[in-house]
Amino acid sequence: MNDLSFDNWTTQLRKGLLELAVLNTIADAPLYGYEIVRRLSDVDHLVITEGTVYPILSRLKNSGLVDTYLEESQEGPPRKYYRLTARGRDDLHRMNQHWQSLHHAIGSLRKERKR
Amino acid sequence: MIEMTPAARERLDDYLQRMRSELRGTRSVVADEVEQSVREHIEIALAEAPGPIGATEVISVLDRLGPPERWLADEFMDRIRTAPDDWRLAYLAFGMFLLSMLLLPAVGAMLIIPAMIASRAYVELARDRGEPLGARRWLVYPSIAVVLAIATGLLIIGPPLPFMAWVFDHRRYDQIFDVPHSEPGRMRFIAGFGAVVFGSWWILAAAFCAAFLRSIRFVFAPLLDGLRRQHFAVLAAIGAVVAAVGATLIYYRY
Repeated sequence: MNDLSFDNWTTQLRKGLLELAVLNTIADAPLYGYEIVRRLSDVDHLVITEGTVYPILSRLKNSGLVDTYLEESQEGPPRKYYRLTARGRDDLHRMNQHWQSLHHAIGSLRKERKR
Repeated sequence: MIEMTPAARERLDDYLQRMRSELRGTRSVVADEVEQSVREHIEIALAEAPGPIGATEVISVLDRLGPPERWLADEFMDRIRTAPDDWRLAYLAFGMFLLSMLLLPAVGAMLIIPAMIASRAYVELARDRGEPLGARRWLVYPSIAVVLAIATGLLIIGPPLPFMAWVFDHRRYDQIFDVPHSEPGRMRFIAGFGAVVFGSWWILAAAFCAAFLRSIRFVFAPLLDGLRRQHFAVLAAIGAVVAAVGATLIYYRY
């Protein structure tokens, strides 16, 4: 696979995974946008351009998977927190299960190849 | 609200305008909401920087956010695309451009404007869909570039050229100004007069264009997306130098 094809492949892979990553980031506790971006940026190769996360958050909100609320901050402007809705939690559970099964499937294919 | 220098504010405004332009028309994303989130992101990122925040700090945050043109293209362009790639308007714009070149001067000059409007419409359509122009830029850029070149030429020449022609027609300047009778003195006066007129016009034109920067960028997008007030400041500075040289020549015409 040449560099261009590999870049294209990683872009396609990231496309699907970024949404799952965003939902998992706010699964335990509500977070504001900047903090979500910061956490996702810490994961290697997941976020190439930080701004990409904001249209995804907007779309997740429009889909009813997350909702938002404003909270005052002592260190700057009021922050918009994102949290999972009940539907978002259900969808995330299903998405994580699907991801796990895919991960296992790829893992078993690799094991077979090694034998 | 963080305090920014005018240059930093201009960079941020330009970035947000590009972002709005990219997100406009996308059904799954609320552009205002994304803009509000991006503003919050920038304010938090720069909260601890000493004010007023300069362009360098703002650019560093914007670079990390990345070009808005890539946000949708990278992540979910496929989902929001409302129609398959359609090259018809681009072909139409290019066809009108070719025809205008073939029918120069009179009919061609009239056709270049609709060709340019069709090209701009196509650029906006592609932006609304979050599609990069790709190879289609070769179809839509020529007419925009030609109109831009004509507009730039008119800006440089402006009213001074016909004015100079009127003044120098039948040596009318002899009746208006105190012009030396010797040939070298006359030449110095003519050169100096021309330099003062053109230099002053460039200063005025630069001020006018700087005041209408956004409109000019919009009309000639995407070719002038990078146009800044500093470019007109350079034009005004050149105008001032040329006018000063002209005034000196007139002063020492004898």
